[in-house]
Amino acid sequence: MLSVLAARPAIRVGVIATYVLLVEWSRALVATAPHVATAALVLGGFALVLSGAGWPLERLGISRSRLALRILGGCALAVVLLLPAAARANAAPILPAFLALPAVVVSIGEEIAFRGALYAALEDLGGAPVAIIGSTAMWTAAHALSHPPEFLFAVTAAGLLLALWRWACKDLVGPIIGHVIADLAI
Amino acid sequence: MKRLALLATAASAYLLAAWNVAPGFYDGFAPQQPYNWVCPPVHISGNVPPSSGHLVIKVINGVSDANSAFTDDGQVVIGFLPGAFNVTGKTSITVDIKPVSPCPKPPGLTFATNTYLITADTPLVKKPNLVMRYSDIVPAPSTVYFATSADGPWKSIGALNEAQPFTIDTTTDQLGYFAGGYPSNAVSHGGPSSQVLPIVIAVLIVLVLIAGIPLAMMRRRQTSTDEGEAADAEP
Repeated sequence: MLSVLAARPAIRVGVIATYVLLVEWSRALVATAPHVATAALVLGGFALVLSGAGWPLERLGISRSRLALRILGGCALAVVLLLPAAARANAAPILPAFLALPAVVVSIGEEIAFRGALYAALEDLGGAPVAIIGSTAMWTAAHALSHPPEFLFAVTAAGLLLALWRWACKDLVGPIIGHVIADLAI
Repeated sequence: MKRLALLATAASAYLLAAWNVAPGFYDGFAPQQPYNWVCPPVHISGNVPPSSGHLVIKVINGVSDANSAFTDDGQVVIGFLPGAFNVTGKTSITVDIKPVSPCPKPPGLTFATNTYLITADTPLVKKPNLVMRYSDIVPAPSTVYFATSADGPWKSIGALNEAQPFTIDTTTDQLGYFAGGYPSNAVSHGGPSSQVLPIVIAVLIVLVLIAGIPLAMMRRRQTSTDEGEAADAEP
C-alpha cells in the first residue's frame, strides 16, 4: 500500500486530499452537536497533523534554517490576515477563551495538511502551479461546510496567499505562525 | 521580484475579499449570525430588534409534555422535561419569552445579552434548561443572572459548560428575568477585548520592521561575502 503511494503521485494526492477533506467536513459537522465543539476541533486538528506523517520535514517546508526570517514572515502574514478585522475592531469577533487551544491545534493541523502534505504531493504530481492551485481549491472545499458562501472568496484568497508564500519562500513555518496568530486574535 | 509581486497581488486580493465580509478569520467554527439587540452597543449598525417566543405545552395524562420554547431568532431556548410544571387544573401550559425594554442596567453588573422575561401560567416543579446566545463581538458572559423584577435584585444562577460557542447554558428553578453577564469589575473569560486587536497589529508591524531590516541586511551581507569567496576561489 505504502509502496503504491510512493510510486504513484496521483494516487497519493487522491488519498491525502480525500483524507483531509473527510477530516475537515467531519470536524465541521460534529462540532455543531452540543458540548462537543472543543473536542471536535482538537481531535480534527490532530487528525490533520497526521496527514504530514511519513513526509520529511524539509518536504513539508519545515526547517530550522533562516528560522528568524521564517518567524518574522509569519508575523507579516498575520498582519495581512488580521488587517481587515483590525480596521473594524469594534465589529471583530472575540474568540472565547475555551476555543484558544482548539484554534492553535486546528491552525497547525490545517497548515501541515494543506500547505504541507497536500502541497508536497501536488508538487510531485504537477509542479508548483498545480500545488498552489490544487491546495487552494481543496482548502476552499474543506471550508464549504463551515462557512456561508459569501465568506468563501476570503477563504480562497487567504489559502492562495498562504500557498504562494509556501512556494515563494519554500516555507511552512511562516504560514503556521501567521495562521495561529490570526486564529487566536479573532 | 516575480515572486514578491505575486505575493503582493495575493495579499491585496485577500484584503479586498476579506473587507467585503464581516470581520473575522473564522477557522474551525462558523461565523455567527448577527445578534439582535434591544440596546445595541454604540458601534453596532443595522441592528434588528430581537424576537419573542411563545409555546403551548400539552398536558397528557396529567403530566406536562416535554417541549422547548424559543425566540424566533433563536437567541433564547428553554427546554422543559416531561412533568416540568405543576398542572393542577390545567389542560395546557403557555410559556412566553419576551425581550425586556428598556434594558436593565444593574449597578456592578455588565449584561452581555439582552434581558428576557420568561413566563408560564403555572409554576415549575422541575428545572428547565436555559440556553442564551450572545454576540461574538462582546466579551463572553461568565454567568446567567436572574431576577423576579426588571429592577432587581439580580442574582447569579451560574452557567454550565458551554454547549456551543457563543452560547451560555444554565438551569433554573423559577421563571422570571434572565440575562447573561459578568461582574463589571471582573475580567471576562471571553478573551481580550476587540480593542486589543489594533494594538496586536501595531506590535506585529513594529516587530517585523525592527527585526526585519537588520535580518535582511545581515542576509544580504552574507550573500555578498559568499559570492566574494566564490570569486576568489575561482582559478
